Amino acid sequence: MLGLRSYLLKRVLNTVLLIVFVITLNFIIFELMPGTQASISNLVQNPRVFDPTQVARLLKLYNFCKEVTITGPHSYNCVPTTIWDRFSAYFVNMITFNFGDSFQTNKPVLHDMIQTGRLVNTLTLLGVATTVALLIGTLLGVVAAAKRGSIFDSGSVTLSLITFSLPTFWMGLLFIMIFANRLQLFPSGGVTPAYWAIKTPDLLGQFLTRVQYLFLPALTLTLFFYGGNLLLTRATMTEALSEDYINTARAKGLPERTVLFKHALKNASLPLVTNAALSFGGLLGGAIITETVFNWDGLGFWLFNAIGWKDYPVMQAMFFIIALCVIAANFISDIFYGILDPRIKYE
Amino acid sequence: MSENTSVPYSLVRFKRFFFNLLRNKKSAAGLTLLSIFVFIAVAGPLLTPYTPLGSVVSAQLNPPSWIVYFTGPLGWSQNAEFTGIKASSITGATLTTTSIGGDSASFSAASGASGGTVEVQKFVTWTYPGPAKRFVTSLSITPGPTILGQTVIATVYLDRFVGGVRDARWNIFDKTIDSNSTFEVNLDSISGDLRVRLGLSTSNIDPAQLIFSRQADYAYALELTLPPSANIDFSLQNFKLQIRGSTWGWLGTDQAGHDILTQLIYGARLSLIVGLLATFIGVGLGLVVGLIAGYLGRIVDEVLMRFTDMMLVIPGLPLLIVLVNVLGPSLTNIILVLGFLGWMGFARVVRSQVLSLRERPFIEAAKASGAGTGYITLRHILPNVVSLTYVNLALSVPAAIVGEAALSFLGLGDQTSVTWGRMLELARESGGSATNLFWWWVIPPGIGIALVSLSFILIGFSLDELFNPRLRRRR
Repeated sequence: MLGLRSYLLKRVLNTVLLIVFVITLNFIIFELMPGTQASISNLVQNPRVFDPTQVARLLKLYNFCKEVTITGPHSYNCVPTTIWDRFSAYFVNMITFNFGDSFQTNKPVLHDMIQTGRLVNTLTLLGVATTVALLIGTLLGVVAAAKRGSIFDSGSVTLSLITFSLPTFWMGLLFIMIFANRLQLFPSGGVTPAYWAIKTPDLLGQFLTRVQYLFLPALTLTLFFYGGNLLLTRATMTEALSEDYINTARAKGLPERTVLFKHALKNASLPLVTNAALSFGGLLGGAIITETVFNWDGLGFWLFNAIGWKDYPVMQAMFFIIALCVIAANFISDIFYGILDPRIKYE
Repeated sequence: MSENTSVPYSLVRFKRFFFNLLRNKKSAAGLTLLSIFVFIAVAGPLLTPYTPLGSVVSAQLNPPSWIVYFTGPLGWSQNAEFTGIKASSITGATLTTTSIGGDSASFSAASGASGGTVEVQKFVTWTYPGPAKRFVTSLSITPGPTILGQTVIATVYLDRFVGGVRDARWNIFDKTIDSNSTFEVNLDSISGDLRVRLGLSTSNIDPAQLIFSRQADYAYALELTLPPSANIDFSLQNFKLQIRGSTWGWLGTDQAGHDILTQLIYGARLSLIVGLLATFIGVGLGLVVGLIAGYLGRIVDEVLMRFTDMMLVIPGLPLLIVLVNVLGPSLTNIILVLGFLGWMGFARVVRSQVLSLRERPFIEAAKASGAGTGYITLRHILPNVVSLTYVNLALSVPAAIVGEAALSFLGLGDQTSVTWGRMLELARESGGSATNLFWWWVIPPGIGIALVSLSFILIGFSLDELFNPRLRRRR
């Protein structure tokens, strides 16, 4: 048990280090940003143009001055902060999720993220797509490995290679063109129809409409994600199926389904768990693009809009939160690995 | 094999390697595909006379011309140009031509006692079953100095002839001229003035659709009505009318009437450049970091690999977005950022290879005979990881190309150049975010990206098989 504890301790330490690294990187990037510095020095150098109380407020807000004393109608004294002051303040802000106000709405970033339903929207899309992709990918991977060399095998491998290498946004555009614009089966974008603002249908109607809106983005994201999963499942399953205990199981006369899913897949699932966690970052990248293509009002679409607005508080927050999610996913998979894999306990 | 001894061994080896690569079906397909794209990229300007965002070649949002083979010719048309310039007198005037041809004519017109009219015409036979979509005209006329003190009325008409008889006439412009300075008329059928003049201000019909709607002969005519007993020289230049049809070329046009094939060709060039340069930077960095970490080991290895792992965990696309946003979306920045974020995986691969190489006897032998760290790394280790480099080069290019396309698609591409990703961004933007997408605009860039990726993946896989004997046996 000691081995597992020191292993976990190591992972926790590593995770903390990673978070510090991400915050530092974020700070450096945004400290170097030409826009912020330029606008602040503009404030400092042209006090006449601005109302000094307003300037004082902004300088404090952006942490550019420790103390601002207003000395006249158009002049003030500023005790400038050092880069360390700014960094420590930034660090505390990030840790406490105090991301400042969005430039677009002048409301706290956290408010815009949660109260507007963006977080839920993203989680819905990601959750549905990931679940379906994992299920389909694993299932098809198992079947492909079991029927190695058959038409089904080569067909599913080729198909997953194709969907894997096609750009996500292009696939999304194709789906919109075919299913939304031509066949008119699904809406071309959005989360809910505009008329809901006036009259919301009953619960069943709401649910069906939501599914209709979710379908194309979820399909795009699923296709982006299932291919890699299928290939990995197939590879690990092929290896597992060549092991002796599979022969034993078959010799015992167990049904093939039990052999495949109870014996082989259970043992092959470890790399799959790790891979799911590791590819989480890529999945989030895919989600940003998918949400943009379908105007799906989630975190990714929000980030896309923040780019256009040069909304730095939102961009910082999004980058930090996405990085945190990925770090968390890695941490969780590490722990799973530690608990599931007996080799790690006794190393 | 007795090769020519003057050929250096490395070249012989390369030749043999190359033939091995060609013998493999997969890599032969990949190489063929890639060489087509490289040819397109290199020969770009020779393949198309237009520029991607500069030349307006036809009406906006035209589908490709070959669409008629699927839908039937009904309702479709192509571009047409008026030709065969002719100057003649209509009533009460004599016209003496000094020179005429192409788009210009010089002539002098003398009118009788009751005034007179002369005209210059160009002709076209409209053979398409569908109406035109738009037309643009131009002319510039310079009267001689004898015009001073007199007034000439210039009128521009479009005439339709059926069976040699004029059956319709549209007055599209008129103006009284009284000075001898050059005077230009440029008309575009989409302009509001022309719509109002032809009584189409309330309808959606373009004047071109109204006028060029029948298979007939058309004339583009400039009439000059002279005052009594005048004798004036005229020099007419740039006398042109281009009819824009409703289909265009191989791949149609975009929102502004630019040629999509041209954009695709120039896009191939930029996408390949971005992909290759970013990959070179990434693979180079990965090689250096991997070699240093693997060979120096200990604390250097620990620090470098910790950093590599951290960079690996940070989500790629958000970091790309933030960095490009901070540095500014120029092509150079995009290449640099893609390169500097693409080294981590390769560094790990190189490091583990170096770690295993370091323990081999030949390194020990080199060390024993007094070779220094630098010498061993460059002379003994590096040649043994080169094969990894080739494979990684081939497999990283698609990632870089798709990365650039994704950035461009998110509006963070270089706004002055056309890559495949930016074509898709423009296609989406013009459709009012995806309610109006046009297949001839959306499909080609995606196929381009997919095929280039495919070619590199095929080459990469077969390189891997070639270098990795274990994989070869398993096949």
